[in-house]
Amino acid sequence: MSDSHANLNKGAKDLPRCPFPVPMGWYFVDYSENLAKEEIRNVNLLDQEWVLFRGETGKVGMTDPYCPHLGAHMGHGGKVCGDNIRCPFHHWQFDSEGWNKDIPYAKVTPPICKKQPILRALPVEEKWGMIWCWYHPKGEAPKWELPSVPELEDTENHVKPHRGEWETGTAVQEIAENGVDFAHLKFLHGEKEIPPAEYSFDWPHYDVNMNNGYIVGRMHGPGLNVYRFSHEGVTATMVNYTTPMTADSSVIRMSFTHKKYEEGTKEAMIAQHLVQHMVGEADGKDSAGFESVDFIVWNHKKYRPNPLLCDGDGPIIQYRKFFSKFYEGSGYAE
Amino acid sequence: MAKIQIKDRDGAEHSLEAPSGTTLMELLRDEDLDVEGTCGGICSCGTCHVYVSEDWAGRVPAKGEDEDMMLEAIGEVVELRPTSRLSCQIEIDDSLDGLSVEIGPVA
Repeated sequence: MSDSHANLNKGAKDLPRCPFPVPMGWYFVDYSENLAKEEIRNVNLLDQEWVLFRGETGKVGMTDPYCPHLGAHMGHGGKVCGDNIRCPFHHWQFDSEGWNKDIPYAKVTPPICKKQPILRALPVEEKWGMIWCWYHPKGEAPKWELPSVPELEDTENHVKPHRGEWETGTAVQEIAENGVDFAHLKFLHGEKEIPPAEYSFDWPHYDVNMNNGYIVGRMHGPGLNVYRFSHEGVTATMVNYTTPMTADSSVIRMSFTHKKYEEGTKEAMIAQHLVQHMVGEADGKDSAGFESVDFIVWNHKKYRPNPLLCDGDGPIIQYRKFFSKFYEGSGYAE
Repeated sequence: MAKIQIKDRDGAEHSLEAPSGTTLMELLRDEDLDVEGTCGGICSCGTCHVYVSEDWAGRVPAKGEDEDMMLEAIGEVVELRPTSRLSCQIEIDDSLDGLSVEIGPVA
């Protein structure tokens, strides 16, 4: 086999399934309504366990479970005090940014406590009725902000979002790769043709326009995509947010909404139809929905670092180069 | 190896042989001179505070930022002097033969 194709004979025994660490990004943690004031909960996501808590004023914290003092798990017996989490072992307290706020018995507080946060804490934002966290492998500050999504913010003029949630057995990079794989839309999903697509990469954003404006989407890092489907002046919005759970499992969640239209009007029917197309569980005329076909591929595939691509394939290579920047600081290099 | 002159909190004088490679804190702790050295040498407890004799002040290894900050912190509860040091940051070697220190007060 020639040098350029040296990896093609790699298969079941040699190929990795999901060789990626958790990429940096903003990730959905939970819906705001699921975390009450003064509640502490252990959550597993981003390939580790975290302690999620909400303070008395409503402020949310998400920290490493293990106390920097003597390693007690603060999600087992810990307590919310004000907006701090208090370790059960010696009652050291930490705020949502990981700063030590109290050591009840020390005459002199260790100077490091005044210099820097000593408990690993993820930056948290609450937006659109959701709790979001920023993950970076080295704990660096957010490299971009969560965008504005007017359809989720102007709740007066938009229908209450319809939500979906799916668990899948692969990494977020593999899931998002389907967003640049235009050819699979014909063969896996059964679209009539490979849709014409314009796209551009401008890290951390990937923009795509498929079928001449029918679908316009933007990826805001690995954990958030906003797609707008438009037909005859009516637009429906799909917000797609994926959270890595472990190295090879993720939870995909979506919120669908559109402007409020009077029931029975043509606009309302179009909006409904667009949402049905997005969910993919409607009449099946347009194409097969993602959960019925993409999952079969995702849950069983392996990652080919050196794929054999042909003309007509989407910008897989550009996408992977773009995506690799989300691993900066993790030590992972493709 | 260095011979160290120590004045304890009761004013009693001790002369101790210290092997190279250990820290002064370990010597004081292990010789039961009532120095706790609780944090093990990471400048977070301040329990190994000593006053170095003035003639030795410029001959012990220089202070780092962490030591400076801990000394400043204990300065709110005990008396600091210009020659105050954390003994955990003073590693023994032959050049310290004859060093003279006084153990600082309990916080």
